[in-house]
Formats: sequence, C-alpha cells, structure tokens
Amino acid sequence: MNRILWRASLRHLLTHPWQTGLAVLGIALGVAVVVSINLAEVSAKRAFALSIETVIGKATHQIIGGPSGLDEAIYVQLRVEEGWKSAAPVVEGYVYVPGDPGRTLKLLGVDPFEESPFRTYWQHFGRDSAIDMATLVTEPNTALLSAITAKQLGLKRGDTLKLRVDGEPYAVRIVGLSPSGNSKGKFSLDDVLLTDISTAQTLLGMLGRLSRVDLILPTGQQGSAQLERLRALLPPAPEVIPTGVHTETIQQMTRAFHTNLTALSLLALLVGMFLIYNTMTFLVVQRRELIGNLRALGVTRRQIFKTILVEALSIGLVGTLCGLLFGMLLGEGLLGLVTQTINDLYFAVTVRQLAVPPLALALAVLLGLGVTALAAFVPANEAAIVPPRVAMSRSLFETKAHHWVRRSALSGVLVIAFATATLLLPSNSLGLGLIGLFALVLGATLITPAATVALVRLCQPAVSRVFGLIGRLAARSVLASLSRTTVAVAALMVAVSAVLSIGIMIGSFRLSVAEWLDSVVRADLYVSLPHPVASPPEGTLAPALVERIGAAPGVVDWSTVRRTRIDSERGITEIVAYKLSPHSHSGFRFKEGDPSAIWPAFEDQEAVLISEPYAYRHGLGVNALVRLRTDHGERDFRVAGVYYDYGSDQGVIAMSRRTYERNWTDRGVSGIGIYLDPDTAPKEIEEVLHRIAGPHQEVQIVSNRAIREASLEVFDRTFAITEVLRLLAAVVAFIGVFSALTALELERAREFGMLRAIGLTPRQLWGLIMSQTGLMGVAAGLLALPVGVALAVTLIYVINQRSFGWTMDAYISSGSLAQAMLLAVTAAVLAGIYPAFKMTRARPADMLREE
Amino acid sequence: MARQRFILLIAAALVSTGLIAGLAYSLWSLGDHNLAGEPHVIADALVGENTSGFAQATRTRPFSFPTDYGPHNAYQAEWWYFTGNVVTSLGRPFGFELTFFRVALAPGEPVDKSPWRTNQLYLAHFALTDVDGEKFYAYERVSRGALGLAGARSDSLTIWLEDWSVRSSETRHFPVILSAAEGNIAIELSLEQGKPVVLNGYRGLSQKSSGPGNASYYYSLTRMPTRGTVRIDGETFAVVGTSWMDREWSTSALGPDQIGWDWFALQMSDGQEIMFYRLRRQDGSTDPYSAGTLVTPSGAALQLTHDAVQIEVLDYWKSPRDSTRYPARWRIKVPIERLELEVRPILAQQELNLSVRYWEGAVEFAGTHADEPIHGRGYVELTGYDRHKAANNR
Repeated sequence: MNRILWRASLRHLLTHPWQTGLAVLGIALGVAVVVSINLAEVSAKRAFALSIETVIGKATHQIIGGPSGLDEAIYVQLRVEEGWKSAAPVVEGYVYVPGDPGRTLKLLGVDPFEESPFRTYWQHFGRDSAIDMATLVTEPNTALLSAITAKQLGLKRGDTLKLRVDGEPYAVRIVGLSPSGNSKGKFSLDDVLLTDISTAQTLLGMLGRLSRVDLILPTGQQGSAQLERLRALLPPAPEVIPTGVHTETIQQMTRAFHTNLTALSLLALLVGMFLIYNTMTFLVVQRRELIGNLRALGVTRRQIFKTILVEALSIGLVGTLCGLLFGMLLGEGLLGLVTQTINDLYFAVTVRQLAVPPLALALAVLLGLGVTALAAFVPANEAAIVPPRVAMSRSLFETKAHHWVRRSALSGVLVIAFATATLLLPSNSLGLGLIGLFALVLGATLITPAATVALVRLCQPAVSRVFGLIGRLAARSVLASLSRTTVAVAALMVAVSAVLSIGIMIGSFRLSVAEWLDSVVRADLYVSLPHPVASPPEGTLAPALVERIGAAPGVVDWSTVRRTRIDSERGITEIVAYKLSPHSHSGFRFKEGDPSAIWPAFEDQEAVLISEPYAYRHGLGVNALVRLRTDHGERDFRVAGVYYDYGSDQGVIAMSRRTYERNWTDRGVSGIGIYLDPDTAPKEIEEVLHRIAGPHQEVQIVSNRAIREASLEVFDRTFAITEVLRLLAAVVAFIGVFSALTALELERAREFGMLRAIGLTPRQLWGLIMSQTGLMGVAAGLLALPVGVALAVTLIYVINQRSFGWTMDAYISSGSLAQAMLLAVTAAVLAGIYPAFKMTRARPADMLREE
Repeated sequence: MARQRFILLIAAALVSTGLIAGLAYSLWSLGDHNLAGEPHVIADALVGENTSGFAQATRTRPFSFPTDYGPHNAYQAEWWYFTGNVVTSLGRPFGFELTFFRVALAPGEPVDKSPWRTNQLYLAHFALTDVDGEKFYAYERVSRGALGLAGARSDSLTIWLEDWSVRSSETRHFPVILSAAEGNIAIELSLEQGKPVVLNGYRGLSQKSSGPGNASYYYSLTRMPTRGTVRIDGETFAVVGTSWMDREWSTSALGPDQIGWDWFALQMSDGQEIMFYRLRRQDGSTDPYSAGTLVTPSGAALQLTHDAVQIEVLDYWKSPRDSTRYPARWRIKVPIERLELEVRPILAQQELNLSVRYWEGAVEFAGTHADEPIHGRGYVELTGYDRHKAANNR
C-alpha cells in the first residue's frame, strides 16, 4: 500500500515540474541566504579567533599599560628582582605594506627566548631557518612571515619588504617563513609580521616601551595568590587582566552586527517558507479527488498525512541540499562584504577561506526541513481530513477558505497587538526587538487575506468600469480562489515590505550620518596618516609636523585629535582627545547637557563628553561618572554632555587635549583639522602643507568635502552587505510570487479553456490573466506600504537603537514608497507573463481535456 | 675543552627553535629520530659561518683579574661553571651545580636604538643533588644579555640570569654569593676564593683538537671554601663544603669524530685536586687531545697528558627515561703520581634532562696517593651518551 502511495505522490510531483521546481528553488534560495550569511560570519569570527589565539597563545593574563604602552623596566624588575617566571614581553602595532591594494600587517615583536611557554608557532619555522633565528635577534629590521602571506606579497626568504609605519618608510628583510597553520589548523600567522622585540620597538617608535607583558598564572587559589602578589608589585597604572577579556570584548562588538545579519537572512527563509506552503497547498488541492478515493480504499488519515508531509520534506530536502551548495558559493561572495564591514567598523581581520563547519550545515538542514515541515503541516492536515469517496469540492474548499480568512485576520490583529506591546516594552533587549519585528511580519501576513479581500472588493467597481467584463472577471477570480491568491499576495507583501523597510532604514541612517558629517567636519583641510587601521590607536603624526603645520601661512586656526583605546578589565574604551579650535565647538550636537556649561567644563574641569552609543550602552547621562584607567591609576571623570556621533557603534569618550595630557603620558596626534584664511585657496595651502610634511612621513591632506565623501563611502561600504540581503530577499520574493501565480493560473487551465470555448479571445484571456496578477500586485503593494513603514520604524527606533545605540530620524521619501509599489506590481505582472503566454497559445480543447 | 661542543649544542639547539620547549620537542621527542642530529648540523653551520668575526684562542695570553672574571664577548662561547659538595652539621650531603653560559649569536656589538638588541645570549643550569632524599633537581634558564636581564660584569666576579646570580660585594672580589631558586629548591652560598687561580693547558691555553684556534682559554678555582644554605621543599639547611669554578671561553669547533667527553674534578683529602677530561671518539677510544691538571696543596699546577691518566669504567647506570647507559663507577690511575682512586656517584640519578641531555653529578671517592690512603669528593660530567644522538652520529 505504502509503495503505491509513494509512487502516486512521486508521479504527481513529476507531472508538475514547474510547481515542484519552483518550490525547490524557493527553499534553496532561502536556505542559501541563511547558510551563506552564517558561513561568512563564522569564517570571519574563526579567522579572528585563530589570529587572536595564535598571538595570545597560552597566556592567561596580561599586564597592560595605557595608550603609550608599558615601561619595559617593569618587565625587567619582574624578571630579575622578583624572579617572575612565565612572562613574555610583547610589542605590537600595525604596519602598512604599500601596493595595489595596500595591506595592513600586524607587527608582533617578541623575545624569542621567552616565547616557548606561550606561543607554539616557533616550532613551525622549519629546521633550515636556524641561522635566521639568530639573525632575527641580532640584526636590525629582520622579520618572519607566514608562507602564505609571503606568497601573497610576492616575497621569498631573504627578500626585502617595504613598509610604512605611521607614514614613514622602512624596509625589513624576511629571514624565515612559517607554514600557514599546521595540520590541525591551530594557529594562523597570516598577516602577522613577526620580529624580535628590538626591531618592533624601533619600527613602531616604542623605545623603552612594551605593548604588554603576557603571563601564565596557575588556576585556582595559587593563581589568585600570584595575581595578588603581582598587583602589589606593580605601580598603579599598569593593570593585570585575564586574556579572555580582550577577545571577548572584541567579539562582543560584532554581536549586534551578526544578529542583524542573521535576522535579515531569516527573513529570506521566511519568504521561502511561504513558497513551500503555497506549493503544498496546491499539490493537495489538486489531488483531493485522488485522496478521497485512496481514503475509500482504506488508506488511513495518518497515512495520507504522512505521505503529504514526506512529499513536502522531500521537496524541502532537495531544496535544502541545493541551498547548501548554493549557500557555500554565495558565502564566498558575501565573505568579502562581511569582512569589509567588520574591518571598517570593528577590527582588522583577513579571512583566507570560507570555513564550513559541519554543525552550521547541519543546522541549515534542520532549519530548511523544519521550515518545510511547518509550512506543510496545514496542507497535510487539510489532505488528511478529506472524507473518503466524497471528493471535496473546490467550492467547499474555498468557502472554508473564506472562514479561514476571518479567523486569520483576527489572529493577525492579536499578533500585531502582541508585537506592538513587545516593541513598546521599555527594554534594551535586541532579542525582544527581533521577536517584535517578526511578530509584526507574521501579524501582517495573517491579516493579508482579509485585507486582500477588502481591497479587491474596493477596487472591483473601478476595475470593472475600466476593464469591463474582463476586469470584473479578474477581480472575482482573485476572490474565488482565496486559498492560493492570498498566499501569493502575502508572500509578495512580506518581501516588498522588507525591501521597503530596509531601504527606508538605510536611507534614514545615511541622511543622519550625512547631516552629522556636515556639522562635525568644519575645518577646511584635514591632515592625517593614510591607510588608517580600523582599530585605534591610530597612527601618530610626527610631533614636529604638528607644530610646523600650525605655523604655516594661511592657517588661522587648527585643532588636533587623538584617537586611542584604553584596555582594562572592564573591556576596551575608545578615547578621543580634542584640542579644539573655538570654530569646532559648534560642530558638536548634544543630545543631553547644556552647551553653554559643557565647554567650560570640558576645557577646564576635566569633564568628558560621551557619545550617544556610549551613553546608551552604559546607561549613562550628564553628571554620571566614568571610570578610566589613566597612566596614574584609576580615575573617575564627570560626564558633561552626551553628543551625537556616528563614528563608532561602541561609543567613545571625548575629552580635551589638556585633560588627556594631564592623565596620560601619550603625546601623539592622530589628525589635524586646519582652518584657513578665507582669502587663501585651499589647493595652494594643501601644496604648502605637503611640502612642510616633507618626504619623510607620508601624510594625507584632504578637504572637508573629500572627507565627507570618503566617510559616506565607508558608510555605503558597511551597508553593502545589507543591500545585498535586501536584494536577495527581493529575488526570493519574486520567485515566490512567480511560482504561486504560475501555479495558480496553470491550475485554472480548465476554467480558461471554458472561457476560450465560450468566445474569449486570446487577447482577452491575456488581459484577464494580466489584470488578475496585476490586481494581486497592487493589493500586495498597497499592503506593503504601511507594513514596510511600520517595519522601518521598528528597525530604526528599536532594532538599530538596541543594536548600535544610534538614534536617527526616520526619513520616508515618496520615491521609496512609489518604488515599493512599482516593485510589487512589476513582480506580479512579470509572474503573469508565462502562464498568460502558455494559456493563450494552447488550444481550448486541450485545456478542457486536461485531467 | 670539550664542553665547547656542549655549549654549541645548547646554543644551536636553542637558536634553532628559538625556545626550550621547541628544542626539547625536536631533540628528545621519542621516535623522531630524524631530528636528533639536527643540532650538530646547526652547530657546524653556526660555527662554520660565524667564527670569522670572532676572536680565537690561538696563543697564550696574560690573565688579569678582575677583568678576566668578566665576559669576553669577542669570543663565541664562554661559561662560568660552579659545582660543589656541601654538608649539614649533621652530615647530610648535598651536591650543587650552577652554571652560566654566554653564547654570541653574531660577532661584534650591534648598533641599535632599542636596548633589547644584543648579540649575547645567556643560558644557565641549576641542579641540586639530595642524597638522603634520593632526589635530583635540575632547571634551566635562557635570556638575552640585554637590559640587565642577564649579563656579567668586568670589574668583579658577577654574573646573573634573571634572579639566578653570582655576585661579589662592592669592596672585595671574594667571597662571591651564589644565589638561585627554582621550583622547590634554592641555594644561597658564599664561596671564598681558596687556592689561587689555576691555569689549565699550556698557561691557560687549552688545545681541543688539531688546528690553530681550536682551543680555549681555561682557568679554574679548584678549592673554594663554601658556606650558606640549601632549601628544599621549604626546609632550610645550613651547609658548609667545597666548590669548584671553571672559567672558559673560546671560538672553535671540535673534530667531527669527538662524540662526547667524561670530565672529572676531584678534591682530595690531602689538599690536592685533579681535573681531567677524556674526549671520546667514535670508536670508543680516548682522543689524544684529552688532558688534565693536578693541583698541589700549595696551588702549583701539573699538566696531565692523555696518556698520563688511565680510566677504567667499573659499572654502568641506565637512565630510566630510555635506558641510555652512562658509566657509573670508575678506577682512575695516574701512575706517575702513584695515584689510584675509585670514584662513584653519591646518587645514581643525576641526569639533567634539559635542552641538552647529560649527566653531571656529585661523586665521592677513596684510594691511595703515594701509598697513603686518601678520599674526597668532586663532580663528574658525562656527555654524548644519548642513544639517539649516538646512533645518528654514526
């Protein structure tokens, strides 16, 4: 019996290749998007974790200093006077390899003789590099590279690598190569330039300083005792932190970004789910006669239910497997975009290849099958309750659908109420926000059938007036087969509203950033180092240069900025120290705080400003205290104001240069803003400044306009991945609608045959089908507008705020609304072309003969 | 002397992997026979390529103190070797070894803004033998000779590697304080000079193998009265005894068929000391460059050639690690001196399993000198017995 059932089901699928194929495609695309995003993220995370692990090695703790590092005397004291074992000094920073494209390498300076307990990669430099180990220590400007990085840079052992460090040119000789990762893949020295600590100090200008001292402390009581002793030994400024803190903070930075990407990719799968639902419903409805007969022959409900479910799962499985393959391909493509965003926003990471963890694939399979099972449940149930022999009439089914429409709308209202309540809940939880968002989508979907009915009824008089009989027929037929039309409309509506809302969100964001840039970028020219590294501390301009530029002709005023980072046990804090020209004060827009009181406090009372995301993340406001680890120990700083800043989603603490210099020994400057005499031409001054900078340090001098453009370029780049996802959602939606409408129209071949037989011309039939799909497109578009706006508002005020801490104004252009409408109608009309084409070509007699 | 090779082994091995663990991994990992011979290759390469820039011990030189207590960076390798036997008032014996090696990774002094830059690498071994506890402890340290992390002074007998040190006071060269602690053991010993400096070889020039420059400058302090404390597992013992210091520096390679050596430093109850190193060749025979020194109670030194000393191995000891076999009891005869001794370790297990594996331990002996019964204590060093290495050399 079972075999007959399976064969019947297989035959049915095979005789409906379009429906089956499109359902497979829908699931495949949905799964592919989820898989590709997941793999790209996992790869980026892995690469990052691996490079961190290689560099941290077995260290359990680190002694860290302030922005200017740690006095090396502390290390010597620990070693010689205290006999402290398992301590390894590290000097690290970033160097830039010029070229096209240029490349940033992490310079890791270590003492090879203290490395063994910490980092295992030394073993991999190979036996023939023995002499070069000695060279590494004894000869200035020598370094080791991983074989892969060397190959990418076109270098062999013994070659010279040209570098720029803070814009100044250097050359190092490569005296050894390590394999990139051992067989177990437990380390990665890619993009690491490994040198002796002396070379690192010289190259990075860190003479007398260390970036950190790595320690291995035992666990348990013995460890805490040692930690205690160590803290007592150290002066107040350095801090001992567990190594995990650092990695964790950095990983946390990207968490919101990853969550958002995942949510977006799930949206694509959601649309895929509609597709499966749609297809399975069709396949069941088409066979209701057969199912009735089977039941009469003694097949149980259970068996019918099982058959339909297995059928769906088979489609789902094929789709999922295709999705996995396609997802891996897509992942390769998205990897670049994801890492680009991570590099622009968070930290430098290079991902050599897409990691494909089996677990991720298994999860994707589960997800694909789960979604399929969920979507197939209703149709399978529908099939199972078909009474024996009595073939359920189509009209009866549609009558039921009408009841179902009402129920669905009711539950939709409830779900939307739930969503609204969830979103309005005073909470910072991103998870709750996403639940609200998805509930909103679900609620809107549930309301769609009722709304469609209402809309079509509303349009009916107008349509019949314009298109006459054909128009009336079109409207009627939409209403007559609600069970299929509404699903197609819902799928299209969800996709269009997603596309619309993401568009509105990005547009609003971009506008806010552009406005912010306009107000904050006030100086005429900006001097900075080229090729900045994503994570502070940024490069340092030569101190002499700063003075000379200030004294240059045509320069009326100037401000400086120092961006750096303070690590502590509590995490990483980004710090910006401004020496502000009075011109620049008005560039700050405050969310909180009285501007007249803020500036005196900022300049003279060591008060600090915090950016909006910082305030949001730490729940701080004006007059709150922030604790920072200065070079003289821990200190509280009063918050004078909260300002708008879209530069960092982690948030920054801004302070005056004076405050900075009083509390930290670092005297570096990351950038200079120059205010020019209005009578001078910026171009000329630019040349003068370039001459002043001289050949030694390569600096970048750009106009305020260029800096705005460059910033927006970075913005667009960071949102490139979002745009791609938006596009993918649209593609999935289109396929969904295409599949639904094609199936719908093809299924009505008999009906169309009848119409043709009673005198409808092919032209009229064409018009009928097009106006039918067009009407559905209009309905979907009209519904997508409010839903899209609601989703956009949720994205802007809930999801974005909770993810990144930024507030922005929602900006809804009539253009974007019109675009969404156009998308809906175009998609629907395009989807109608094939069936219309096929129906008008077929002979009415054949159409009638079918089945 | 033969330790030349030993130090080059250590240096080369360390440099080859950059670290002790890596070295231990490559040298001693069982079953990895291919790697066992690597340090030799590297040692040869290191010496072959780099000796050109270094000074060599080609002729005798006047020794001058305190300068010659200090480092001779122009030479490639150098060490300060302290060994000694001490005993508590209740007669509980201990042996100790505290050795500092200096290896120049490149000739000359590097010019660099960073104080970390140096050509000098320091290594140290610290071992303690506890006969009653039947325990032997051995530790190793490595550091660059920069920033005060490790180094030696030229104005006194002062050398240190992190917190292991030999230091003289501000005003006098002796006594020197040996201070080292690691794991559960520590020593704090004060060493008087005792007898005057003894120049080994020909006026302190000690030839290793044929060819000019294949020699070292080598002097010793052979009987240094010692007192201080030994600490084991938190228990501190007040001890007295006698120590021995070897000072040697050179730039040279040994002959390829010298596979190891047995070094004896014995302090006799009649006030004499004997030092002898037997260089062993591939075929097991004694190399003609083996030599020694006999020191009279007054401090006069008598050179001993390879054929003046007969050494008969009476017993062997197998390392529990892998059954590597070391000699463990000897009969030593110096016929011209009418000296005959039977030497045995005070504890069998005194094998140092560090970046280089060797046996160096406290010994005791008894015998006759010109028919008078004598006894005493001393130290013996045995190298080149490692099975893997021996196999690989052949």
